[in-house]
Amino acid sequence: MINMYRIGLIVIGLLLGFGSAEASAQVVAVVAVKNPVTTLSKSQIADIFLGKMTRFPDGREVEPIDQGEGSAARDEFYLKFAGKSPAQIKAFWSKIIFTGRGRPPPEVSNGVEVKKFIAKHPGAIGYIDQKLVDDSVKVISVK
Amino acid sequence: MLTPGQVLIKRISNILTLIALLATALYAAGARADAFQTPMFSISGFGTAGLVHSSEKQADFTSTILKPNGAGHTRTWSADVDSLIGVQVTANPTSRLSAVLQVISEQNYDNTYRPHVEWANIKYRLTPDFSVRAGRTVLPTFLLSDTRKVAYTYPWVRPPLEVYRLAPITASDGVDVTYQMHTGDFTNTLQAHFGQSENKLPAGGGTIKGKQSWGLAYTMEYHFFTLHIGYESTHLTLDATKPIFDAFRQFGPQGIAIADKYDVDNKALSVITVGARYDPGQWFVMGEVGHSVTRSFFGTATGWYLSGGYRLGAFTPYITYGQAKADNLSDPGLNLATLPPPLIGQAAGLNAALNSLLSTKPVQNTLSIGGRWDFTSSAALKLQYDHTNIGTGSSGVLSNLQPGFQPGGKLDVFNAAIDFVF
Repeated sequence: MINMYRIGLIVIGLLLGFGSAEASAQVVAVVAVKNPVTTLSKSQIADIFLGKMTRFPDGREVEPIDQGEGSAARDEFYLKFAGKSPAQIKAFWSKIIFTGRGRPPPEVSNGVEVKKFIAKHPGAIGYIDQKLVDDSVKVISVK
Repeated sequence: MLTPGQVLIKRISNILTLIALLATALYAAGARADAFQTPMFSISGFGTAGLVHSSEKQADFTSTILKPNGAGHTRTWSADVDSLIGVQVTANPTSRLSAVLQVISEQNYDNTYRPHVEWANIKYRLTPDFSVRAGRTVLPTFLLSDTRKVAYTYPWVRPPLEVYRLAPITASDGVDVTYQMHTGDFTNTLQAHFGQSENKLPAGGGTIKGKQSWGLAYTMEYHFFTLHIGYESTHLTLDATKPIFDAFRQFGPQGIAIADKYDVDNKALSVITVGARYDPGQWFVMGEVGHSVTRSFFGTATGWYLSGGYRLGAFTPYITYGQAKADNLSDPGLNLATLPPPLIGQAAGLNAALNSLLSTKPVQNTLSIGGRWDFTSSAALKLQYDHTNIGTGSSGVLSNLQPGFQPGGKLDVFNAAIDFVF
C-alpha cells in the first residue's frame, strides 16, 4: 500500500514536471576540500553550470564538471538547481552553441569520476549523489 | 559542365569534409593530451523536417520573403517552408580566440537547396566580459533572432511572423562588440554592431541590400526573467522596385513626389523592438513588440505577439496571438485627369503596380495553438494550427500571389515539424 502510494506520488510529480528530486536520492554540489568557498545560492550554482558565471564570488575562476546526458544525477541536479528539464537544458545549450557564444561544461560518466576530477582541479565544482560524499570533496551548503 | 551552383556545393562540401577530418584528428589528439581541455574544433548541427498546409490556393505561405514558393498554391503540403539542415564548426585556438562557421541548406530564392553561410566570424575576448567579433553575424534584432533557424531552441514551429517579418535584414557582415555586466543576480549584456548585408530575392527580384547598418541590443537577465531591447538602423536598397519608380519619375513633379515617397533606393530604415520572457521551468510567457519606420513603400509597421505554454513532462502545449499593422495600403497615385490621353494607360498601369506593392504589407492577426513533444533528448515533434485574419486590402504574409488572389480574408495553416540538434 505504502509503495503504491509512493509510486502514485512520483507519477503525479513527474506528470506535473516537478520530477523525483524529493522522492529519490539527494544531489549535492561539491568542490575541492581546500576550496575556501563554503556557501553558494541555488541560482549561483545554476549560473556556474549554465556558463553565466565564470568565477567564484571571491574572484577565482570556476571549472564546472558535468555528468553525462541521461544520468539520473544530472537530470536531478538541473531540475533542483535550475528548475529545468533535460530537454530545456539541451535547448539552452543549443542557443549558446549555435550562436558561437560558448560550449557546455566538460562531462564525466559518473559521480566517482566527478570526485576524481575535483581532486585534480582545485577550481572545480561538480554534483554527486549525497551517498557518494567522502573526505575527498566538500559539500557546498546552499543558502 | 557544372553550373556555378554545383561548383559551389562541391567546394563547400570539400571544405566541410576537410574541416571534419581535421577536427576529428585534432579532437582525438586533444583527447589524449587532456580529456578536459576545450577541444580545438567541435562540430555540431541542427535541422528541421517540416510540412505545411495552407488553405489559400491563390498564394503561397512561406516563412520569409527570401523564399520563392511554399504551401497553398505551389504545393498542397510544402516541405520547403521550414525544412533545413545546418552544420557548425567552432574553433578555439586559444581561450580568448574563437571562430565559428555555420552553413545552412534550405530553400533558396532560386528554389535550390545550395548551402549558404549563416555565421562566419572570429571572436576575440579582451576581458572575460568584453569581446569583439568580425565577420558575418546574425543581427540580434529580436529576442530569438540569433537562433531563429534553430527551431529546437523555441517552443513553436517558427517565431511569430507578425513580428519577425518586420526586419527585412537579418544578417550583417561587419564588426560587433559585446559587453557583459554582472550586478548581483542581474546579467546585463550590451551589444553594438556595424556592417552591411546583401540577399537575393526570388522571382527575379534582384537583391535587397542594407548598407551602413548599425544597431544596439540590450539584454537583461534576472533569474527566470529576460528583457531584450533592440534597435537597428540601415540604408535599404531594393532592386526589384527600381523600374516602377524610375517610370514614375518620367511623369514630372507629381511622379517624382510619388517616387521619392515610396522608392527603396538607399532609404533609411529603423526598427525598434522590446521583448520579454518569463520562464520558471514549469511554464512560460513571452511577448515582443516591434516597430519599423522607413520613408519607402514599406512605410510604418508595427507587430506584436504574446505567447504562453505549460510543460506537462515532455509535452508542452502552447498558445500564441500575434498582430501586424501597417500604414497606408493604397495610394491614389498619379492624377490621371491631369495627364494627356496617350499617357493615361501607362500611368494607370503604374498606379496599379504601386498599389499592389503597398498591399503586400502584412496587416493581419493570428491565433496559434500547438504542442511540442520532446520525444527524445535531442529532437522534438511540433504540431501547430494557425488561424489568420488578413486585413482588408492586404495580402498578409502571403507571397507568390496569383491573378485570382483576393486580398483580405481568412487563412488556416497546419504545421508539423521535427526539430533536432546533433
